[in-house]
Amino acid sequence: MEEKGRLGIPRALMFYRYFPFWRTFFEKLGWRVVVSDRIRQKEKIVFFEDSCLPMKLLVTHAMQLKERVDHLFIPRLVSIHRTYIMCPKFRGAPDIVRLATERKASIIDETIDLRKGGSSLLQSFLKIGEKIGATRQESKNAFQEAEHSFSKFQKEWIDRINRLPTGQLFEMDIATPPAGRKAPLRVAFIGHPYNLFDIDINKDLLALAKSLGMEIIPSDFLSGKEIDREVSDLSKEIYWSSGREIVGSLFHFLSGGVDGVVFLTSFKCGIDALLQEFIKRRLKVRGGSSIPLLVLSFDEHTGREGLTTRLEAFQDVMEQRKGISNVKAQSSN
Amino acid sequence: MKVTFPHLGSMHIFCKAIAETAGIPYIVPPETSRKTLTLGVLHSNESICLPFKVILGNFIEALQMGADTIVMVGSGPPCRLGLYDLVQKVILEDMGLHYRWLTIPPRLTWQAVWKNHEETKELRKELSARNILLFPYGLWMGWKKMMACETLERLAMNVRPMEIKKGETQKRLKKALSWVDEAKTPKILEEAARKGKTFLQEMEQDRSRIPFKVAMVGELYTVMDPHINRGVEQKLGELGVEVTRTSWFSTHILRSLRKNKADRASERVRFFEASKAYLGYDVGAECNVSIGEAILRSKEGYDGVVHLMPFACMPETTASGILTKVGKDWDIPILTLILDEQEIEGRIQTLLEAFVEMLEWKRRAA
Repeated sequence: MEEKGRLGIPRALMFYRYFPFWRTFFEKLGWRVVVSDRIRQKEKIVFFEDSCLPMKLLVTHAMQLKERVDHLFIPRLVSIHRTYIMCPKFRGAPDIVRLATERKASIIDETIDLRKGGSSLLQSFLKIGEKIGATRQESKNAFQEAEHSFSKFQKEWIDRINRLPTGQLFEMDIATPPAGRKAPLRVAFIGHPYNLFDIDINKDLLALAKSLGMEIIPSDFLSGKEIDREVSDLSKEIYWSSGREIVGSLFHFLSGGVDGVVFLTSFKCGIDALLQEFIKRRLKVRGGSSIPLLVLSFDEHTGREGLTTRLEAFQDVMEQRKGISNVKAQSSN
Repeated sequence: MKVTFPHLGSMHIFCKAIAETAGIPYIVPPETSRKTLTLGVLHSNESICLPFKVILGNFIEALQMGADTIVMVGSGPPCRLGLYDLVQKVILEDMGLHYRWLTIPPRLTWQAVWKNHEETKELRKELSARNILLFPYGLWMGWKKMMACETLERLAMNVRPMEIKKGETQKRLKKALSWVDEAKTPKILEEAARKGKTFLQEMEQDRSRIPFKVAMVGELYTVMDPHINRGVEQKLGELGVEVTRTSWFSTHILRSLRKNKADRASERVRFFEASKAYLGYDVGAECNVSIGEAILRSKEGYDGVVHLMPFACMPETTASGILTKVGKDWDIPILTLILDEQEIEGRIQTLLEAFVEMLEWKRRAA
């Protein structure tokens, strides 16, 4: 098929969850999808507004891409769940980018709000298709293909995380390698997807963890039902979908099933700051957890060396605890 | 039973009036101080917003004074205010403080009424028939007092830049507010309000001055509470600025009662519409209104805008990014003050002085 043009997707925020979907959709409609490169140096970060690092990176990636593409794809993610919403900053994200690019870049900023129910995701993508000149039928077909490839991608997701270098997770042409040796430690890594998988934010913490013999269990490991079960008895409903995922998985994994839990957060993340306090206090009130928990907070000044030291120390804690419980298990036999 | 509530500007006068009139025992938390803030900071973390810390500090102090029932206004998504109660409850529990918690729903819906019915089941046992019977009257009294307070505060904002003796307006305002606070019957209240008004108007003033006009916009808690914003309103006034703001206790109450048709609330609708040139969606809380108000104030010939927000406030962070652009596009000076627990009163004074000086240059150049 003839190439219709170049469509840019910034390597930031929900790219780290929905890229497979977005890419298939646009490619099926005949667009060449261009993804921004990694930032690598903190000197390159654009400080247009004083938000959390993930938001600053969105602006930086968009600035990097704007000259190279016909349109930027920055959907207005209001809600990606039937009931719960996204962080309010996502609602203004396309506007912030528009101002940062001096209103010169063409931005596709269709609102995605799944609270409207039914086929609202399809409706949003039909509108996106219309904006780039696709017919309804073409968009519909592309949407179905996108759904298909996304669910296929999701099936291999946990394996990809553990078997591929973090930088290649979203290189969809690279197949998932076969299973290798089993890692000695099972560790849950909880946080927003961008904190987990953006190497510019976490200095490739996952690679470090894998090199230390940890099997990674990400926060989207649990199903929505399992998450709901963990947070259903709270006095008030947590209304951010990401917040629910984080609190639910932390409660779940801190009560067993893993050797340790690492919580990754960005400095100034409002949701994480509030919920972190809630989790800490509630665990204390309920008598604590025996599973080791490491909280890592990232900003543009975070260095790899400090992270290495902390993760190694955490590994020692987990191994020690595991050693003790193994000895106990043997002696009781 | 001893009821308590958080501080927010002169809201305690409203809450106190309700409790007093209905004969419900209450404790007003000590005036927000350094100690209040320290307590709040100690029991939360750095990126949680300032209002959370201050409200938590108010509750801790009130509970330590013997209060046992907390009444808190609820709110909804998308900002963090809606989950304050979830987190504060567990913090107080962890601290070993005992309390009962009553959330006033942000919107009067049937579910809210039902949930409140459930929550107040226990409490109602402790209330006498007299308490319940007098409650609507208490609400009415509280509302009247609130309106009187707001009228006085508005008047103070107008006369402050004209005062000859620095600090005189504030002194008089404080006194007038205390008259309103102490009034026990509607008749005395009316008298107090009238007396307060003339007391402020009679103050010695230099009417030849042409004050600068500056609008205060931003997150409602930082705009409305002088303890949180370290008296920005007063400081600006004493530098010769006539300050206006559209965030008042009554605005937000009317808004939650969906009385958007009321004059003052419809102003917000106007601001919201104006923000659409910069923001394509309702970000939540005051974000869109802050932006829209800055634009319209520039059109109305205001000299400047002061934008207030707590550090790491989610909606206002978006607003502050956009306001930088608005300031340039509409040629209106905008000063953003980000507030947290640091001792920044001196810095705020310097910033405001520099801001007003800049307004002077601008006026002279024009």
